[in-house]
Amino acid sequence: MKSYLINDLSPLQQHLSEHYQFHQPVKNSNEQCYWQQITKGTTKPLSDERPLSSAKRFFFTEHENLLIFNGEFFRETLPSPEPFVLFGVQSCDLSAISYQDKFFSEDPYYQARRKQCLLVGIDCIEPCENGFCPTVDAGPGVRSHTADLILHPLPNKHWLVIEKTEEGVQSLRGLTLETTQEHHLRQRDQALHRCKQLFADDSYITHGIENINSGKIPGSFWKKLAIQCVGCSGCTTLCPTCSCYGTRSTETEQEPGRKNNIQQRFWDSCLYEGFQREASFHNPSAEAGTRVQRFWQHKFGDNFYAEFEHYGCVGCGRCEQTCPGVIGVHSVMKRIENAAESYS
Amino acid sequence: MLLNHIPDPIQLLDYIDDGEHARHYRFRLLSQNNNHDWRNVQAGQFFMLNVASVGEAPFTFTEPPNEHGEFRVFIRQMGKVTSTLFLMKAGDILGARGPFGRGWPLEKIKNSNTIIVAGGCGLAPLVNLIDRLISPSEDQHNNQQLALIYGARNRRSQMLNPERNRWKNNISIFNTLDESSDQDYPSSTIQGSPLNILAQAIATFDSPPKTALLCGPELMMNCIAEYFVDYGLPPESIFLSMERRMHCAVGLCGHCYLGNKYVCKDGPTFSWQELQQLTQC
Repeated sequence: MKSYLINDLSPLQQHLSEHYQFHQPVKNSNEQCYWQQITKGTTKPLSDERPLSSAKRFFFTEHENLLIFNGEFFRETLPSPEPFVLFGVQSCDLSAISYQDKFFSEDPYYQARRKQCLLVGIDCIEPCENGFCPTVDAGPGVRSHTADLILHPLPNKHWLVIEKTEEGVQSLRGLTLETTQEHHLRQRDQALHRCKQLFADDSYITHGIENINSGKIPGSFWKKLAIQCVGCSGCTTLCPTCSCYGTRSTETEQEPGRKNNIQQRFWDSCLYEGFQREASFHNPSAEAGTRVQRFWQHKFGDNFYAEFEHYGCVGCGRCEQTCPGVIGVHSVMKRIENAAESYS
Repeated sequence: MLLNHIPDPIQLLDYIDDGEHARHYRFRLLSQNNNHDWRNVQAGQFFMLNVASVGEAPFTFTEPPNEHGEFRVFIRQMGKVTSTLFLMKAGDILGARGPFGRGWPLEKIKNSNTIIVAGGCGLAPLVNLIDRLISPSEDQHNNQQLALIYGARNRRSQMLNPERNRWKNNISIFNTLDESSDQDYPSSTIQGSPLNILAQAIATFDSPPKTALLCGPELMMNCIAEYFVDYGLPPESIFLSMERRMHCAVGLCGHCYLGNKYVCKDGPTFSWQELQQLTQC
């Protein structure tokens, strides 16, 4: 695997867009950063901001058909996307993709999309608002196993392009690129080290994780916290590792007079009151406190860490940014720390 | 190995009513060439019944698929899937995915005296197990004793009557009714909950039961499991079949979480010991 030095991203973007459907984060007219498909033959400046939504919808889509029933037979409706590239995925979101790759390792719908994707990661060299990726080992530099190629911004608008997988190597074929010098890679290490030092003190998150796993936080704490949960699903929608879904059936008339049933799945949220409610109306998580506790347990529980070799939180901070009840990750962890003395 | 989310087509053969808004259904797999392996279903495992116009829900087998692909299921009318099913007629086509989950620990049960406590339609996941345990084809060299306590709200809501009649010569059966104004019932029936009759049921064993199997309302199971722990049964010998809402049945949709496990994949049968650990998560 090699590394290259380039002084302009455009030729690389052009080259990849020749072979892949091309997606990258772009700032819109409201100065907000979104994932956007770029038309073949054109390029747009790569935004270095964290996109409002993560890249999870590219693999685990917001809603999709699972199967169709024609009255006699059930038929799978697997997606067959053309090869696509996600250009400029930040380390936190790449860590989340890696987490979901494990969770959905046997899911044919997820894997049909995932195998068509080339992941081009980008190192962050400045902390972002609400981000704490170093604390959960998800950044700011792209983790080696999470991307096919890594982009690293150097001073003077130069970039390092680092190959990480055979797919990454293949994707660069046909481009004439200048190989990097050893000192460029050292520069990368220094920039990432500097970035890590610039993150604000978030020891309350580390302490919060310890407290969540100690089993000492009483139910009354979660119950009180949950008063502020309005069950809007903003956190679970934006969380790049959240993966709960529901299913539903709909009727479709593909030919006149011949109705088929389609079964779909759609993003669901464990914070909804009815998430576990059974047909009998028995509901093991009827209490909002129970649901909120489980959500944070799922994000920071050591038993999930043992299974996925990573916490279910990648430190992107989107939950803090979106929660209308102000119980995103920073707020919750600070409250756990403040309350810790009373239950330790 | 990728999962297969696609149901196999099944045909509704017939049904008989049994209890309040409950029926024994008989279905048949329509094809020999199925997406799912229907051989060797464990007692206590479940499948997802697909009623194409409304969706899917989990049900246990009272009789697993035989060599002709025929199987029986006990179903209580409760939500949208079952209400639509109850309007369907013989010959209609539905779907089935499965079998899923971890059934009852047959090997552990079949050599030990076992007390079984079921409430309402919670008896359904135990039917195939009891049938297997008392089957003449099972290894009968042990002198295993079985007792069943079956609790229901009242006489009208008692279910699985043919099964309990069939078993009465092989196992001790105690029935409890939560509410009853009717004093004219057999001596094996008392008014109260299964908890009220546990001591009497245990006393019928020549040597004390070593295993307990529970299925029914969660609160009832929890109380009875605690009773058995106090009685002296090890928590790893008390087994509960848990009920949860399920959409996928393969550990992905998240609906049936219990601590860091999923009832569809890691259950529905859990030992009391496992459940204690999970509820601490």
